[in-house]
Formats: sequence, C-alpha cells, structure tokens
Amino acid sequence: MALPLTYNFRNVLVRWRSTLATIVGIALVVAVFVLVQSLAVGLEKSAANTGDPRNLMLVRKGSTAESTSLVSLEQLRILHYWPQIARDAAGQPVISADLICLISQPRIDGHGEANVSVRGVSPLGVALRPQVKLVSGRWFTPGRREVTVSHKLASRFAGFAVGDTFRTAGKAVTVVGKFDGGNSAFDSEVWMDADEARALFDRDEYSSFLVRTTSPEAGQALISRIEADRRLTLLAEPEVKYYGDQTATALPIRMLGNFLATAMSIGAVFAAMNTMYASVGARTREIGTLRVLGFRRRTILAGFVVEGALLAAIGGALGCLLALPMHGVSTGTMSFNSFSETVFQFRITPWLAAKGMIFAVVVGVIGSLLPAIRAARLPVITALKSV
Amino acid sequence: MSGAALLLKTISPFAQCRGFRGRMARRQIELFSSGPPSLLYFVAETIVQIRELTKIYAQGEIQVTALDRISLEIAAGEFLALMGPSGSGKSTLLHIIAGVDRPTSGECRVQGVNVTRLNESELADWRNHNVGFIFQTFNLIPVLTAAENVELPLLLTRLGRRERHRQVETALALVGLGDRAKHLPRQLSGGQEQRVAIARALVTDPALIVADEPTGNLDSHSAQEVLAVLQSLRSDAGKTVIMVTHDPKAAAFGTRQIHLEKGELSP
Amino acid sequence: MTISTFVFKNALRNKRRAVLSVSSVAVSLFLLVTLQVALRELTLPPPSAGAELRVAVRNKISLTNPLPARQRGIIERISGVQAVSPFTWFGGRYKNEEGMSFAQFAMDPVELRPLFGEARMSREGYEKFAADRDACVLGKITAEKYHLKVGDAMRLDSTIYPGSLTFHIAGIYSGTPDDRNMFFRQDYLDESIGTPGYVGMWWLKVKTADDMAPVIKAVNAAFQNTSAEVRAESERNFQLGFISMLGNVKKLIASISTVVVFTLVLVSASTMSMAVRERFRELAVLKALGFRRRELFAFILAESFGLAAAGGLLGIGGAYAIFTFGDVGKMTQGIFVSFEVTPRIMGLAALVAAVLGIVSALAPALSVARMSVVNGLKTLD
Repeated sequence: MALPLTYNFRNVLVRWRSTLATIVGIALVVAVFVLVQSLAVGLEKSAANTGDPRNLMLVRKGSTAESTSLVSLEQLRILHYWPQIARDAAGQPVISADLICLISQPRIDGHGEANVSVRGVSPLGVALRPQVKLVSGRWFTPGRREVTVSHKLASRFAGFAVGDTFRTAGKAVTVVGKFDGGNSAFDSEVWMDADEARALFDRDEYSSFLVRTTSPEAGQALISRIEADRRLTLLAEPEVKYYGDQTATALPIRMLGNFLATAMSIGAVFAAMNTMYASVGARTREIGTLRVLGFRRRTILAGFVVEGALLAAIGGALGCLLALPMHGVSTGTMSFNSFSETVFQFRITPWLAAKGMIFAVVVGVIGSLLPAIRAARLPVITALKSV
Repeated sequence: MSGAALLLKTISPFAQCRGFRGRMARRQIELFSSGPPSLLYFVAETIVQIRELTKIYAQGEIQVTALDRISLEIAAGEFLALMGPSGSGKSTLLHIIAGVDRPTSGECRVQGVNVTRLNESELADWRNHNVGFIFQTFNLIPVLTAAENVELPLLLTRLGRRERHRQVETALALVGLGDRAKHLPRQLSGGQEQRVAIARALVTDPALIVADEPTGNLDSHSAQEVLAVLQSLRSDAGKTVIMVTHDPKAAAFGTRQIHLEKGELSP
Repeated sequence: MTISTFVFKNALRNKRRAVLSVSSVAVSLFLLVTLQVALRELTLPPPSAGAELRVAVRNKISLTNPLPARQRGIIERISGVQAVSPFTWFGGRYKNEEGMSFAQFAMDPVELRPLFGEARMSREGYEKFAADRDACVLGKITAEKYHLKVGDAMRLDSTIYPGSLTFHIAGIYSGTPDDRNMFFRQDYLDESIGTPGYVGMWWLKVKTADDMAPVIKAVNAAFQNTSAEVRAESERNFQLGFISMLGNVKKLIASISTVVVFTLVLVSASTMSMAVRERFRELAVLKALGFRRRELFAFILAESFGLAAAGGLLGIGGAYAIFTFGDVGKMTQGIFVSFEVTPRIMGLAALVAAVLGIVSALAPALSVARMSVVNGLKTLD
C-alpha cells in the first residue's frame, strides 16, 4: 500500500525554505529550455499561416523558392486567358506577377545592416492576400517609387517610418504606409509596385505568379494543365502548401537549446539530489518508524521519488510561468533559407509547456533516485537509533 | 478509563487482511512443524517463546555480544518490565521480539510464529498486524495530524476509508485525545504525543504491545498517565505489554520484572 | 593536525555532498565558459593571415544582387590592386542533403593562390585547377567528411541556377580559418547553367596595408551612379556585416549566460549552506572550546571556497581540454570551426567561482554568528 500523496506533498511544502533554491533552479532551467525551443519553433513556423486557400503559387520548375525563381512576361501572357483563373468585376484575370529582391538596410539600433525582402506586386496583388491589412498611411501607388512596409519589420530598421525616404539602387524611395501581415511570412516584407521594382532593380523578369482560381476543382485542373504543358516550365501548387513547405532552418537554435538543456539539467539533477539527500538525512527516524509500522522498502523508495518529482514539478510549473510572458513577442533574425531578415514570434505551445514539465519531472526523478534508494536501504534499527 | 475495556472489545479483529491470513496459515503450518513437539503444548498460554537467543553485532572493528543465549517465556496478558543498565541488551531483545531486528542464532516464537524465520516482507506484514510499537521519542510523523498518524498503520490493511476513520476515532477517544484529532504533533505536549503514539500502536488491534522507554522523555505527571494507560491495556483488553525501562518506579507498574546484564538474564 | 587539514577533513566528511557540490559548480562553470566562447566566436571573426589585405566588393543594393562581369577590367586598373577574382555563390546541394554543409564559389582559378596565400595545397592542385574546365578544389574538412580524394567526381544541384553541375576534385586545401569551402571555375559556370556576363561579387587583394583605404575608396567611386553601384569593404568588415545580420542571437546568448550564472550561484550556495547547517553542533562545540566568531567564519569560508575552487578547476579545465584538444567542427556539425578558450574567458569564470565561494559562505556564516553555544549544542541530542 502506498504512502498517501498528502504526506509527500506536505513534506515538500514543509521544507520549502531549504528546497526553494532547488525549485527556483529547476524553474530557471525549464524557463530557458522552453524559451529557446519556442524561439526555434517560432522561426521554423514563421512561414506557416501564410496564404489564401483559393490561390495558387507558380514558380519556375525546379526552383525551391520564389527568390531563386524566374518567370517571364511570355508565360504571363499565356496564362492570361485560362478559364480556371478567376476574374474581377472588370473582367480582368486575378493574377499578380511578383518580383522578389533583397536590399541591405541599416538596423534601427545602428548595429549594422541586414537584408530585407522587397516584394513587387501587381495592382491586384494586395487583394489576392486578404490576410494583409493596412494599419497606417496608404498603399503605394503603381508608377511611383513608393513602398508600404510591414509594421513589425519597420520597427527594426532605420528609415522605415511613414514619410521616411531611404536610398537603394541609387534612387530614393518613400515609405507611404504600414501593413500588418497577420502573423505570416508577409510580416517580413516590404511591398511596392512590381513594374516599379523591375525598373528600380534592373530586372527583366518576375519571380513568381500568384493566381486566384474560380473553384478548388478549377485549381486542380490548373495544376494538372501546367504540369502537362511542356512550354511553360512552371510549377504550380496551392499557396498555402507552398508556404507550409518553407520551413526555416532553426537548426543552430535547436542545437543551442539542446546543449543548454543537457548541461543545465545535469546541474539541476545535482541540485535535486542534494536536496533529497538532505531530506532523507533529516528524516531517518521517520523512515525507521514507517518501516516498523510495516511499510515496505519499495514504498519508502517510491515515496521519495514522488517527492522529488513533486518538487521538480513545482519548479517546472514556475518555469513555464516565467517563460509565458514571452509568448507572442516579436523578434527577428536572418533566416539562412531566405538570407533575409525574418520576423517571427516566440511560440509557446501547450505541447512545449508540457515538454518543459516532463523535462522537470524527469530531472526530479533522476535526482531523487539515489537518495530514495538510500532511504529504502536504511536498516530499521539504525534508523530508529539515529537523531 | 473504565469504559475502555468495552471500547477495546469493539475494535474487532478486522485488521486481518484476507490474503495475508491464507499465506500466514500456510507458513504457520511450516513453522509449527519445524519446532520440537514439546512446545506445542504451551502454545495456548505462552505468547512469546525465546530459546538460546544470541545477538552479536560489529561496532566498527569490535564484536559486541548484545545477547548471550537468552531463553525466556512470556505469558499472554503479562505486563513485563525489561530492566538493566545501558548496554545490557534490553532494547535489542525488545527489537527481536517485535520483529525489528534479527538474532545471530536462536529462535523467537510469537503466538507460535517463528519470527526469526520470516523474510523481510513477511516480517513487515507480521509487525503491522501483530505488534504495536511505542518509542521513547514518540516518533510521530511531523507533517501528519494526530488522526492521520493513528491512521497510518491502517493504510496497510484492506479497510475502506470510513472504516479506518471509525477505528481512528475510537483509538483516539480511548487515549482521551478525541478533540485533538486535527492537531499536528508540534501542537501537542510530550504526554499528548505519546498518547497519540499509543493510539497508533493500538489501532490494528495487535496482541503484543512493545514499548521502548516510553516515559523517558516525559515529565513525571505525563509519565504516570502513560503508564496507567499501558496497565489498562493489559488488565482491560488482555494485551501483552513488554516494556523496556531503566526506571524502577515505571517498572513497578508491571506484573513481572526481568533484569538483563551484559546480554544475560540475571537471576 | 593543522587548521587547514582540519578544514580539509571537515569538507570531506560527507563525501557525497562534497562531490555533488563540486560537480554542480563544475558543470555550471563549464556551461558558462562554453557560452562565452560561443559568443566571442560569433562576434569576432577569426583573423586569418591574409585578411588584412583582402577586400570584398558587392552590389550596393544587397549581396544577393549580381554585378556585371565587365567591372573586372576597371577594378584591375586601379592602383594598389594586386589580384582580382569573381566570387559567385552556387548554392549547391550535395547528395540530396537537406541543408548545405559547405559553401561553393565560382572563381578565376588563376587567382586562387594570389588571393588566398595562406592556403596550403599541392602544386599539382593549383595546376590542374587552372587547366581543367570542370576542376574544383575542396577544403580538407569537407573532403574528410565525405571521404573524398583528388580525382573523385562531385555532383551538385544548384538551388539558384537551373540544373546541376559535375566537378572533378583537382586538389584539397587546408590552412585557412574555414577549410570547408569548395571552389570551381567561373567560366565553367558561365558556359553551363549560369548567367554569363554576371558575377556574384569581387574579391581583391591589395599590394600593401597602406593601399587598403585608397583602393576601397577608388572602387566605390568607380561605379558610383552606374547601374550597378558597389560597396567595397575590408574582409574583416565584410565578415562583421554577416555577424550583425544575426542580430539578436548575441543578446540571447548574453542573457542566457546571465541566467546560468545566477542559477549556478543560487543552487551551489544553497547546497553549501545545507552542508554547514548540518554541522551546527560541531561549530557550537568549537565555539564553546574558545574559537572566536571570526575563526569560525574562516572555517566556513575556507570550506566553501575550497569546494568552489575544486569545481572551478574541473569545469574550466575541462572546457579548456575539450575545446582545445577536441574536434570542434565535428562536435558542432560544422557550425563552429574554431572555439578558442581565451585566458580572459577563463579568468572571468574563475572570478565567478570565487564570488560563488564567498556568497555561499554568507548565509551559514550569518547563522553561525547569531547562534548561541547553548542552542547549538542542543540541536543534536
């Protein structure tokens, strides 16, 4: 028969002063673990949640990303009259021919420069992406050297306030507004008119096409048609799927996280071990009494392991609470995939918090194992005679 | 304490765990048949039989003989006072009888059961059902209330919660601490703590009550109370009480006194 | 017995606790050292022998915009310039691996030695590289990772250009700070799947250190107001530019280091004060015998200092040993090639250990100061 949980719980609470340091230590370890992992998850998922399910993305066949894809005006002209493409009120096909270009801009804190993604879009390009909403100023005017920037990106770079002018490719460009990308990949972009971009950066071709289809079946038909058409050398897939596949590599961050978790958990295990040894040491007479009353050795062992786990669980919960305020906080770094600044949020998912708790409990169990074995092995007589 | 006898009688032998009885029965047959035939005759009256009990243990690099071929019989219903100077082995003898220690050689039978031949888990079970232990230092669990402390031995039985709480109430009422059930040990006086310990010792209705210097940490008034309770356990409830003490005044409460000196019974 | 042996024996009374204390200090200091070294590596590019004389020239818009090949003629004529080569990023994937573990650049084979004099390669290597169209030279680390040798073929699928190219290894080089890269011929790229007439960037070597500033100025001026303006900068600044792109990572590591130090002090201090609390009775006896408060303080301090020092030695020494004699490239999957544990970092960690030793002694010292002999003797009856 097991010792009641209330016994374990009260013992953990009663010794709170001496175990506080260990609990806080475990809490910090869990907090760091959760934060670094949430950073990795945030970066990896920075492109998730992007795209409208009615859109198709068209890039050059064999290209892995928009930034390295090239599509031409010829191809645009061919696509223009296909029936699967939806039309707007004026009867025009809803297509945006986009150009992606990277520009180097100084950071707002003055510590160097970073690459920023500029997306030139056709006039219908904004309407094709309803998750993007204007938050201040206005949209750029086609034919003018104007840009509308993501407000999350703007806060990180100099010269991106509404009304500012910055120089690139030898010309001055004006910021006329800010948009919110709805926590999608568009939060890391600067938008302008596509043809204006082509002139500015001296490009003949576009990077990709984004089309709105009339229905899901039409979309499928379009994909098959493009696949079959040899002339076109294009690849078509749903926009949502395209972005879903663009997982940024957070490998260095994950490696850092795993290294930190391992090293810190070793320290945490030692701390837990110390605390539990002290606890066992202070309760040898109690252990002896329980044995006399008839409790088995394995019950004693289990009791101390449970206490270690409880202790660690409290620390783990505290750690998760410490990390929680960072959820949703925006930050950015250079993504090695796109080679440009990627804005993303710390993402603390319930599963991540659970992993943090499990991690804490495992540390507690491992740390209390040896002391628990010691407690269980105490000869009854010695325990009774001790002080 | 006069109603105590009645109350004690109501603590029915519930504490016997079904599975345990089956196993013990089989073991008893084994252990009974392993002894010499003459002992069978005394089983009904004698509760504890000790033959040639020896205990030698190592203290650092020295061998200490705590008990030297002790033979002894204790009858049911006795209040036995084990006396002797410090180091005489009286506590060791008590521990062996209670199944808390093992002898180096010899045997000890309690209610016919050869406790020296039981293994670790059998001993644990046996202690739970057959022995109530009272310590000099009370040994209550500090984080549990008086009621929870008394309930502790019952957790090893198969009783349901309500049944357990009933027995706990009865035991506490018996020692006069019914109103202190929810107090923690640190909120009780020494005398009260020891009485809770007695209630704990009683709660599984063991045949044998074993007390190691129960009044050693008490003032004379509380000591008197505790000794009186122990006495009534014998006289009203028919329990056998074995008490280790160095105080002749405490020993006077017993029905019989035995002296140990350097591991041997002195005449 | 002297005072110090007494302290020593005392500390080892509870061997297990001593071991645990020392271990937890060691682990935390190891972690601290590792983080500091990583931070330093990320913020300071490794100086290499020829770095003071090399200049990187890229499109002013961003590194990802190409430059016209005809710019080379103009650059070569600038005084102070000793060697020029194009440098075009290929972005190739080898053996269908998910990520790229080594970089590939197209360049002018003849300029390999003039530009990267510190590299060591056999003479045949240089000759073959200049002679064979599809030749390439490979860094030692990558060659060893994939078990490649001179003469082997390598096929790379480009993520930037349409298609893939096959190369033959002409030579294997070593001796640079980053022996992972692969270099092949720009003309091979131009003829096959590349965009002839465009290069990724230029790398220059200047004649002397004094030529550096004027050359940079001249290059920037030469292409001002053209369709492809450039930014020329020293190699060091170019590398620093990359690092600044990482931005927040430095802040992250710095703040984690702080948390680690704090946790370390917290846990170790509590451990050591637990040890002292256990021995109140002894300390009370010592006090009764006539030892003064300050002598008791000294005992406590000596013990916690000793434990911290032992842990420090283990942790810092361990980090030094592992990173100096171990293969860092392999351990970090190539993210770090060098991981230097500098005396400054070791000194910092040692300081932390010392502070730890003092702080851990504070709480117990306070309790001892307040303890009366009578109470102390009563604690263990």
